[in-house]
Amino acid sequence: MNASALHARWSLDSGDHEHVIFAVEGMHCAGCARTIEKAVNALPEIEGVRVNAATARVCVDWRGKGSTGLEQILGAVMKAGFKPMPLAGDAAASEYQKERRTALKRVGLASLGMMQAMMYLSALYGVTDIDAHMAQLMRIAGMVIVTPVLFYSGAPFFAGAWRDLRNRRLGMDVPVALALTLAFIPSVINTFRAEGEVYFDSVGMFVFFLSAGRFVEMLVRHRGLSSTEALARSLPSQVIRLTTDGSREKVTAADISPGDRIVVPKGGVVPVDAVIPRDTFARGRLDESLVTGESAAVERGAGDRVFGGSLNLGDALTLEATAPASRSTLASMVALLERAQGERPRLARAADRAASWFVAVILVLATLTAVLWWQHDPARVLPAVLAVLVVSCPCALSLATPAALAAITARLARWGVLVTRADAVERLAAVDLVVFDKTGTLTSGGASINAVNLLNGLGREEVLRIAAALERSSAHPLAAAFAAHDDVALGTEQVREFAGEGIEGAVNGAPWRLGRRSFAAGIAVTHKVLPLFREAETDSVYLCGTQGIVASFDIGAPLRPGTREAVDALRALGVQTVIASGDSDRATQAVARLLGIRRAHSRLTPDDKLWLVKELRSGRHHVFMVGDGINDGPVLAAADVSCAMGQGSAIAQSAADVLLVNENLALLPRAIAGARAAMRVVRQNLGWSLAYNFVGVPLAALGLISPWVAALGMSLSSLGVVLNARRLSGRA
Amino acid sequence: MSISYLLVFLGLGVFGFAIWALFWAVDSGQYDDLENQGAAILEDTQAESELDR
Repeated sequence: MNASALHARWSLDSGDHEHVIFAVEGMHCAGCARTIEKAVNALPEIEGVRVNAATARVCVDWRGKGSTGLEQILGAVMKAGFKPMPLAGDAAASEYQKERRTALKRVGLASLGMMQAMMYLSALYGVTDIDAHMAQLMRIAGMVIVTPVLFYSGAPFFAGAWRDLRNRRLGMDVPVALALTLAFIPSVINTFRAEGEVYFDSVGMFVFFLSAGRFVEMLVRHRGLSSTEALARSLPSQVIRLTTDGSREKVTAADISPGDRIVVPKGGVVPVDAVIPRDTFARGRLDESLVTGESAAVERGAGDRVFGGSLNLGDALTLEATAPASRSTLASMVALLERAQGERPRLARAADRAASWFVAVILVLATLTAVLWWQHDPARVLPAVLAVLVVSCPCALSLATPAALAAITARLARWGVLVTRADAVERLAAVDLVVFDKTGTLTSGGASINAVNLLNGLGREEVLRIAAALERSSAHPLAAAFAAHDDVALGTEQVREFAGEGIEGAVNGAPWRLGRRSFAAGIAVTHKVLPLFREAETDSVYLCGTQGIVASFDIGAPLRPGTREAVDALRALGVQTVIASGDSDRATQAVARLLGIRRAHSRLTPDDKLWLVKELRSGRHHVFMVGDGINDGPVLAAADVSCAMGQGSAIAQSAADVLLVNENLALLPRAIAGARAAMRVVRQNLGWSLAYNFVGVPLAALGLISPWVAALGMSLSSLGVVLNARRLSGRA
Repeated sequence: MSISYLLVFLGLGVFGFAIWALFWAVDSGQYDDLENQGAAILEDTQAESELDR
């Protein structure tokens, strides 16, 4: 692959720092990941390398403008024995196709060869009596069949083992290659001697089971890649652009620059972030599920933002691009997701180190097995050693964690929850306390009526209708809160607004005032009903007529949809909730009461919030901080896990571990439950692979497992781990 | 018994043919997409013409 193909990919560059993510072919285990890390780290000016074995991604940060460039990095990876591949696009598709075809041919040859070899060689098992000539013919037939199987289908194991040894470490291919060699060479010698045992059928079966296991692992890995690729690929490659004279031209998405007018046909995908221009007066129906996870169609009018990646469900729509394709929301999401999948979580790194030791232990055990059997029964040395080498499965051990984490990350992304750090899932699963920022998180902008207090005999509906009539023509933000109660049957006249005080007017002939208490009550004072108020003002709005104050309205910011469900679901998960707000006591308590949250801290400065989070953590809580991500960076960073709401290209810069793309808080409990399920699967996988090895290796050493059963067992145990993880990703 | 000798070689020949057939099938792309081809007939092929409109 050439470097320019990678340059064309989206990356999160920040000034003189360069950043690239690519896939690698030929990586099967954690050991390979460390080899690549070492090779790239040896280059100058490298700031960080993260390699994820489960997704076969490499993610490199380096200081640009120095001697190190992309070519040097790719060169180092190739010298270490791996082939870099682009992550998405046509080039990637053809690379994956090639990898898949080759793997399919390898498995096919191995399966056909294994069966044929077994048929011929079963004649030598001693059940039927055959003459020496015939026996020799069977050995030769077995050799003719199994030799291509070993050298074609088994080539990846030898290549892997050779690479491991050259890099002076023990990978999981080493025992496999050793076992294949140990079984094949004596068989060839015995064939030429025309007497003795041959193990060609066992070799065929090893290669078949092991390469079938690898094949399924590869399919799962490609599927994992395709979750981000599905995002990236969903953008159309061709776009219709309107030229200044009104004619249409076809250009590629990369050619679109901000300010360009583009046309998206019905059923087409919006290629870049854009707005509906005000002069078109168009309305569009769009499916934004790819970006926000929200499956219901949304209406967008003139002046509204439209995300790149949205599907146009309505008629053809003319849009004005606001960002180039590489800076769209979707591009940022893909880049973040790739970063998270490129990192290797702490748990996986621990398993990798264990797996490397594990191979060393297996080689020692195999030697011991050989020595002991030699003393008892030399004829059984080879089968026992082969079984020990093949049955052990460090692969399941090192796949257990990354496979599960990759699956849950992909699933959460489909819901609109972006996990931006590899470790976030583990920490999210441990969360037992959520701290919500109030403004912008629990509540959105604007105003709403939280409560109506009736003070003077008039009904709730009536006071709302009077207030709505007064506010009918007002442009004040408060007016929107009353708009739902407006009744055109009520006529108004002489409506006057007093800035910062309230509004006055006659409704059906009777004078009314709506506003601050002292202002509203003023009307009653002039009518000699009430004395002038001298008490402190509150956040409430009062409605006052000639008979005195009839009602007060508690005004607050409206809760985001789904907030109540989110808090209830969190409680059901056993997670405590706390509000930390910079807002007034009254406003904070009102929201806390609505949501049933007992602990609500108000009037907090950013420093106070930081201190609160730190104190909660020192109280042995695992704190999940949820903010709007705009100015709460330090607080988010202080928590165990942080979540920000975000849209647009700003999300790429976010420090939060988790991003809620569609700002729906109801996804938080689902994300926590998903993370817990993922950690359960990780524990199951680790437990399973440990138990399997602890049982399998001693049985093999005692000669109780024949080599082909061992090969089957190893493949099934790896597969079990991968398929168990697949449960998490669910069906799209 | 001499027929057995012939059968062994015949078997090897059939094996060789099967491998050739498999490699040919894989290389000609028959296994590249096992999921979407079945649904392909349901897909609209009008997207391109709509672009031109």
